[in-house]
Amino acid sequence: MFEKSLYDLIRGLRNHKGNEREYIQNSLRECRAEIRGSDMDLKATALLKLIYLEMFGHDMSWASFHVLEVMSSAKYLQKRVGYLGAVQSFRPDTEVLMLATNLLKKDISSPSVPTITLPLVTLPHVITSSLAMSLLSDLLPRLSHSNPNVRKKTVVALYRLALAYPETLRPAWPKIKDLLTSEDEDSSVTAAVINVVCELGWRRPRDFLPLAPRLFELLVDGGNNWMAIKIIKLFATLTPLEPRLVKKLLPPLATLIRTTPAMSLLYECINGIIQGGILESVDGIREGEEIAALCVSKLRGMIVVEGDPNLKYVALLAFKKIVLSHPDLVSNHRDVIMDCIEDLDVSIRLQALELSAGMVNKANLIDLVDRLLRQLRQMPSTSGMANRGCNSGLRIEPAADSDGEDPELVLRLTKDSNEDGSVLPPRYRIAIIEQILDICATNTYANISDFEWYISVLVQLVGLVPAESSTGSESGGTSDAQTSVTHTTGEEISAHIGRELRNVAVRVISVRSEAVRAAASLVLAVVNQISNVVVGSTPSGALRFAAWIVGEYAEQLDDLDGMLSALTHSKVVTLPSATLSAYLQAIPKVLVIIISRASGKWDRASQSVMSLLMARILYFLEPLTAKPSLEVQERAVELAELIRVASQAVADHSNYSDHWPLLLTKAIPQLFGGMDINPVAPSAQGRIPLPTDIDLDIPFSSTLASVLQGATAGISPDSEAEDFARFYTQRPAGSESEDQTTASRLIVPGPEASSYQTSEEANTDTSLLTRKRFERRLKNKDDPFYIAGEDVSSGASTPFHDIIKNTNGDGVDVDSIPIMNLDLGDRVISHGSAEVSNAPSKTRLAKKYQIAMDENIDVDNVSDFPLEVGSSGQARMGKASKKSLLQVDSSGLGGLALEGTSSGVGAGTEGHSLEDAEMIKAVQEVERLRLEMQRASERVPLSQGISPEGTLVKKKQKRVKKAPRTDAEITRREEALPGGRKHDGHVVASNVEGDAPVIKRKKKRKADLRRALDNVQIRKEILVRQRAIDHLEARAIALPNELKLDGKARHLGEWRD
Amino acid sequence: MINAVLVFNNSGQPRLTKFYTQLDTSVQQRLISEIFTLVSNRPASACNFLPLPPLLAPPSTSTTTTDPGHYSDNPTNITYRHYATLYFILISTSTESPLALLDLIQVFVESLDSLFNNVCELDLIFNFEAMHACLAEMVVGGVVVETRVKEIVKGVRDSDKGSVRGKEPKMGPVGAVGRGMWAGR
Repeated sequence: MFEKSLYDLIRGLRNHKGNEREYIQNSLRECRAEIRGSDMDLKATALLKLIYLEMFGHDMSWASFHVLEVMSSAKYLQKRVGYLGAVQSFRPDTEVLMLATNLLKKDISSPSVPTITLPLVTLPHVITSSLAMSLLSDLLPRLSHSNPNVRKKTVVALYRLALAYPETLRPAWPKIKDLLTSEDEDSSVTAAVINVVCELGWRRPRDFLPLAPRLFELLVDGGNNWMAIKIIKLFATLTPLEPRLVKKLLPPLATLIRTTPAMSLLYECINGIIQGGILESVDGIREGEEIAALCVSKLRGMIVVEGDPNLKYVALLAFKKIVLSHPDLVSNHRDVIMDCIEDLDVSIRLQALELSAGMVNKANLIDLVDRLLRQLRQMPSTSGMANRGCNSGLRIEPAADSDGEDPELVLRLTKDSNEDGSVLPPRYRIAIIEQILDICATNTYANISDFEWYISVLVQLVGLVPAESSTGSESGGTSDAQTSVTHTTGEEISAHIGRELRNVAVRVISVRSEAVRAAASLVLAVVNQISNVVVGSTPSGALRFAAWIVGEYAEQLDDLDGMLSALTHSKVVTLPSATLSAYLQAIPKVLVIIISRASGKWDRASQSVMSLLMARILYFLEPLTAKPSLEVQERAVELAELIRVASQAVADHSNYSDHWPLLLTKAIPQLFGGMDINPVAPSAQGRIPLPTDIDLDIPFSSTLASVLQGATAGISPDSEAEDFARFYTQRPAGSESEDQTTASRLIVPGPEASSYQTSEEANTDTSLLTRKRFERRLKNKDDPFYIAGEDVSSGASTPFHDIIKNTNGDGVDVDSIPIMNLDLGDRVISHGSAEVSNAPSKTRLAKKYQIAMDENIDVDNVSDFPLEVGSSGQARMGKASKKSLLQVDSSGLGGLALEGTSSGVGAGTEGHSLEDAEMIKAVQEVERLRLEMQRASERVPLSQGISPEGTLVKKKQKRVKKAPRTDAEITRREEALPGGRKHDGHVVASNVEGDAPVIKRKKKRKADLRRALDNVQIRKEILVRQRAIDHLEARAIALPNELKLDGKARHLGEWRD
Repeated sequence: MINAVLVFNNSGQPRLTKFYTQLDTSVQQRLISEIFTLVSNRPASACNFLPLPPLLAPPSTSTTTTDPGHYSDNPTNITYRHYATLYFILISTSTESPLALLDLIQVFVESLDSLFNNVCELDLIFNFEAMHACLAEMVVGGVVVETRVKEIVKGVRDSDKGSVRGKEPKMGPVGAVGRGMWAGR
């Protein structure tokens, strides 16, 4: 029989260019057969091949049992393959691991060092809390193994054990601490311990304070940079807890900063000083100023140094942290930071950009923005950059011909910097634009001293928004943590610019005309552009706002006719519907101003001008009335109706009258004119107190479904109103019977349900029809979705009014809801521009721009509504976190008395959201169940040996099955078991009722255990239950971030030294 | 801690994948291709730190401005280095120092280099088990345990020596394989 080795497989892959997929499938089939055989060599080889193919995404979870088989091989090299297979392929739901416990125990205690290291290296990948529990006793002695290699790996393995099973640390920590404090310990072991301590440290820094002297010693004369970095990182979490440390740390840190040649250590020293809050705590002291200056100058040095983008990048990161507390220090180095904005590397640019945003003030804003604008202008956005790596969706196949240029090339660091950085990815362009807008808009334009300039910037930005097509392809694969997670498209950023323009137009009255001119230029430019450029290639989000401005402030326009023709240009129809509906709203506003400007008497000339105008608008509107977008359609229909009426009025108007038709001069302007629009704070709406007698949960109509069905029923199109209703409510003929069925599915069968059947015959009887119609109208009167006929005299609010009347009696008057009183002045409305005297910050000194602030309502009694929400929310949060604290105390460590009460304030549990708390709860519940199960399974052997315990086991198992139990119960039960758990980590079987703890000797228990595990039946049962729990756990730990350890790590919050 | 170590070549073919948390194979592959997309788009002059790919990006609901003084379990750093035809990637949490991680990649490559004597991609393709062994000497469970090249190489060689050798030469000790193995290609 032909057998392939891994070598053959790889070579075969390389020889099968083009049809690798088939080759791989064949190989997988072969492996499947080989791994099932009895020949261990063959098994191991097949496994190795599977591991190799797994790397390319070929699932090998089916082979988990065979992995175990190979792991148990007596030969080291085969064993190693088996362990590698476990590392690479075992997943949280791999069940066979339970069977490996004895094997792992054996290998951990092996006399051969390589064999010991295999489980040590593998355990971190596969550890579960029950496995941790049973292996702990075997791992602990390895901490004092003669080989330092074993010791250091054991330390790390124990750390990972602790993440899954916090109890690990109780017996392990003293020993690890001994390793750390021992002077003559191997340096690599010390370094490994430091690494572990650093990982543990940030979660519970307080527990590591006693180690500070030893850490300090290691830092000063450790001589190992890697270790020193970790120690500094650890100290950064300790210093906030122990201010005295700062004084002690400063001199050695300063020395290190001054003397070390290692950039990484230098950087981490500075970083540690920043992170540890050392800069703040020594503020004012001479040494503090010294160290701050030293840090900043070193960071500057890192930026200035040529040719190392990494240093630049991390230095900017550090600056970003410093700027929060010491903006003055950083702004001294504005020059180098600004240079970074023009760096070739986009990541550096983005960092510098964010940093510079933090340093912006009135003086440097214009300079910064101009610089960014220049950059945007100079560097054309090419989509080639974005398209280069677009294979993100492709599955990677182990292809033979994809070695890259030369696989035999010796691995040397690539350092060719001939690449030109002149291409700006669209993502970066958008980030720049976003940043410009954010910088300028900070604090309601506090830093802008020249609004004319700002408007011109905005107009320029609209033109610089990258084209849509390239951003679309870009957004698929890349994202930047710093800018935003969700991608801003060109369309969105364009809309953002438009919004800014509108903001300025609304808020800054003195430059309004300028803003209107800018908006008009945008609207006009698009028409010109559209005529020769493909529509849709340039983002048009800004147009929507430009059109609004043009309409709202049309009186500021010079060329109204030109604007109107731009708004009604035939090419406009192709714009997105949101923009189009803004256009539609702007048209009548412009028209109103045209009419108002038309001076002189009404004569033939003005009549023809007007009717031409109307005809033009109608010509534009007509195709839009059939637009699929509802918003556009509705507005177009409305407006078209209005214009038709107006043109009728123009045509009918007496030629002999000097006066213009009243419809044009009075009626229509009234529709579109009115008060100035002021900015309103986003929170204003929420501050309007909700009347207590309105229940928003009450449905408008309980008969909605039947109403809908009634509407679907045949209606003879004899009146316009019905025609209209039919248009909206009825499907095209032919589908009526289907409509009937869908509608009837919705409703509870009532008397109306039969209306369809009767209506057909009714069509013949007109008197019956009229009656039916009347009935329907009566029925639909209260339905907000039904458009009332002309004979219903009441206004739009009637349905609501009636509903309230019907449900609450006649006492309620909708009109008294304070919403209507908003502008009547009985509540104080803070109007920024009006109150110059008491709001000096709102007036711009430089060119005395007045920027209107958001209007808001200062309602005295408002406090009882929103505050209530806030406080109840807080209360809810507080309750939740409290609950999670309780949970932390009782679970897992329930049987152990923790000293002090602060144990709950673990870093892991603080400030987590409700969901997190629930997640913790769920995870802990699962964890507890699992531990309990483990205990139950360990109790099984006793049932075989000792008869009175047999019944007990049964009871226990029963309890495991009924999963949900309160924590308090568990705590109580565990407290009730004095001998229930020993501190050495062994679980001792005990009577559940707690009246007579039965403590068995360790040896005997072990023997029992082994006997039990031989019992296949029991093993099977354990597996089944394990599976159920794993399943439960998998659902509970569906954390968003795949690589996150959080769920496990949070348990560390429970542990205290 | 280190969350994952990845090695892939210039066309995104994985050469080593090591995740220190258990992930589904499909998720692993998606992550690899996302990172490859990010990394392959970078000019050589760019710095060696990647932004987080969409798969690792923090959920938008959580506070994006994390307290600088606090670490977390979320992977936040992606550090890479490009050697000839191979990219070496480290995904880590903020408890690791970015510059030190760059050094760690260098240590890894140097160790491989002294194991294989002028290591190249082909060495690593055919001896991926040795690459795993080498990494296991440096990083255990996401925690760095050794940073000295000499010790790492010694550890790998010891693990081969200190055992009963397998009968099959193709599964033989990694120290002995070196170049000759694929020479007949």
